[in-house]
Amino acid sequence: MGYGDVQMIDENGNRVDGRKAGDIRPIEIEMGVVPVADGSASMRWGTNYVIASVYGPMEAHPRKIQRQERAVLDVRYNMAPFSTTDRFRPGFNRRSREISKVTADALESVVLLELYPRSKIRVEIEVICAEAGTRCVGLTAASLALADAGIPMTDMVVSVASGKINGVVVCDLNKEEDNYGAADLPMGVLPNTGELVFLQMDGDLSPSEFQEAWDYNMEAALKIHELMKEAIANKYGGGQ
Amino acid sequence: MSNSGASDGRTLAASGSLVIPGDKISSDTSGQLGHGVIKVNDELIATKLGYLVEKSGEVSILPVHTAYFPRPGDLVVGYIEGMRSNIWFIDLNAPFNAILPMSLAPMKIEYGGTRDAMDVGTTILCRVQEVDEAHSSVVTMKGMGLRKVNSGFVDTIPPHLVGTISSGSNAIIQQLKDASNCRIILGANGRIWVDGEPEGIRIVRDALAYARDNQHSTELAAGIASQLANGNGE
Amino acid sequence: MAQPLVPELLRAHLAELASRDQRADGRGQWEGRELSVEVGVLDRAEGSAKVQMGDTIVFCGIKFQLQTPYPDRPDEGGLMTSAELRPLAGRHIEPGPPSPESIEIGRVVDRGIRESGCIDTKDLCIIPGEKVWQVIIDCFAISDDGNLFDAFGLAAIAALHNATLPGERFDVGEDKKLPVNKTPIMCSFQKVGGRFVYDSNREEEVGGDERIHITLGEDDHVHSLQKGLKGVFSASEFVEIMDAAKQRCAELRKIVDSL
Repeated sequence: MGYGDVQMIDENGNRVDGRKAGDIRPIEIEMGVVPVADGSASMRWGTNYVIASVYGPMEAHPRKIQRQERAVLDVRYNMAPFSTTDRFRPGFNRRSREISKVTADALESVVLLELYPRSKIRVEIEVICAEAGTRCVGLTAASLALADAGIPMTDMVVSVASGKINGVVVCDLNKEEDNYGAADLPMGVLPNTGELVFLQMDGDLSPSEFQEAWDYNMEAALKIHELMKEAIANKYGGGQ
Repeated sequence: MSNSGASDGRTLAASGSLVIPGDKISSDTSGQLGHGVIKVNDELIATKLGYLVEKSGEVSILPVHTAYFPRPGDLVVGYIEGMRSNIWFIDLNAPFNAILPMSLAPMKIEYGGTRDAMDVGTTILCRVQEVDEAHSSVVTMKGMGLRKVNSGFVDTIPPHLVGTISSGSNAIIQQLKDASNCRIILGANGRIWVDGEPEGIRIVRDALAYARDNQHSTELAAGIASQLANGNGE
Repeated sequence: MAQPLVPELLRAHLAELASRDQRADGRGQWEGRELSVEVGVLDRAEGSAKVQMGDTIVFCGIKFQLQTPYPDRPDEGGLMTSAELRPLAGRHIEPGPPSPESIEIGRVVDRGIRESGCIDTKDLCIIPGEKVWQVIIDCFAISDDGNLFDAFGLAAIAALHNATLPGERFDVGEDKKLPVNKTPIMCSFQKVGGRFVYDSNREEEVGGDERIHITLGEDDHVHSLQKGLKGVFSASEFVEIMDAAKQRCAELRKIVDSL
């Protein structure tokens, strides 16, 4: 909004980084990157680089977060000081706190929490290098790390954000598109059922534009789900 | 490439294939549901990352990563983490610590005498007596072979390897005992107490490190056998 | 950090091994774990390195900021080191404010870099009395399996050698390589089972006692020392450690200088 003059997609439908409207950025996934953790995964997504690790289940401390009938997810999303062009000051950050919470809400919707009463499962998400959509990368990497840790879930979570630039709806916003675009719609999708566990939006989308962005996210989620399966198979073999 | 069969949900993924949470295993819900498998809308879904196992009508997942959840009767190796006047808290390498009440100690104790009898950091062999729904347990040291251990070393393997190590005709645990000349007690919680000469302990530790690195191999017993044979040549 | 439970058996076993000149993972007394160092690994940092020592993995990023110099040192820039032990890197690392351990690590790494003079703060001057560079060294642990001190120290100096002053981005001139005129290297030793060993892993760290951190520059010049945790050591033990440090620091310096 307001930066509509910045040309980000040309008349041939080529975006600044060469992608077409429906293309996702290059993604690389690696499992088990934190050897001392119960489970972990890293994702390179465009220039984003995020590492997630999981510890647990364990006894829920402090007492006040404990729930009698189920486990709680203790999620921390954080940006490393060198993850942004201007150094990101370590310490309390409202945005990180909010993302930690919505990520926990999303993951608690798929983890079989009732199997571990009074426990907690720690999910640690660190953004090593940031380039738009870090909350989506973080949520996706976290679901990989939970799977790697043997935590039972009803499905994986794939999160991606679509938006609008120069009046055109596009999939998987990069940094400029996120900064100068007119809308941002991040979603967290369960690829096997198409259900949502995470949804935010800001900007301006007409009903048909909204539908387009929604559809882009759904298609992207399925593609990324295939990438996840490949990466997992690379680490653990296709079968015994 | 994984062949988990998630594409149409009607084919049964081949036994032994890798599945991830959410993968549809089958539309046939008549079998028994084992570990890591749930029924959702007339379909069987995997909830864990691991290998599909079909045995005697039961479908289950062998996860790539397991935690130890105590079960009554399990023999386990624990560490005393703390105490009160009449109980000890035992670290069992499980999500929750266990409780060892004074009445189930191997020696006669008086109220307040717990620290003198067994201090923090003591290693014990004990048995799980009961478990609550939070997987928190009570252990006992009354029973044959249950005691403090004062020598040797405790190594750790993933809990799902415990069965692999102790079973079979050429059981890995027997191979380890023969090659190292050590006493070896395998706890259900994945902790293994090894006692003997340092060279023997080293042989066992190296073999266990190999087992951890190759934990999903189907040829683990053979692999360890050859590793022990080569290792002894050092 | 949570106080780790130290089983008595672990300490006894480590002592037994030490008496036979052995270590739990089969290494020699002065032998380090498998090492890898890469530089230029962080796209948004002006200099960076990734160090892996066994299962200990760390990143270091160098970021630059502009600041006004102190009035009594108008032509000198600034240097700051921060060591973050995020809960990502270990079950024993609890969320919350920086622990005394992480603060100590940051300060020890800082001293080794600063006291060596490998960065001349006058080289950081842009306009005397007005504008100077501040160099920020951010050490970040990914996986803590022991000896973060050396991993951070190595990553920090490797990242500094890799760093470029971002003159263009701050509109104060051209980009140019950060002048780093030395390669200080830190080596840490810990008393395990009654004798000092080099590069303790987490098991040895938990079951061991006091530590000594030594930073050496070229020609074995001593730039910083730190003894941590409770325990005593003798002069002859120190001489032994110093000899081992001289050798290992030289080896590591060659690796960093060749990157």
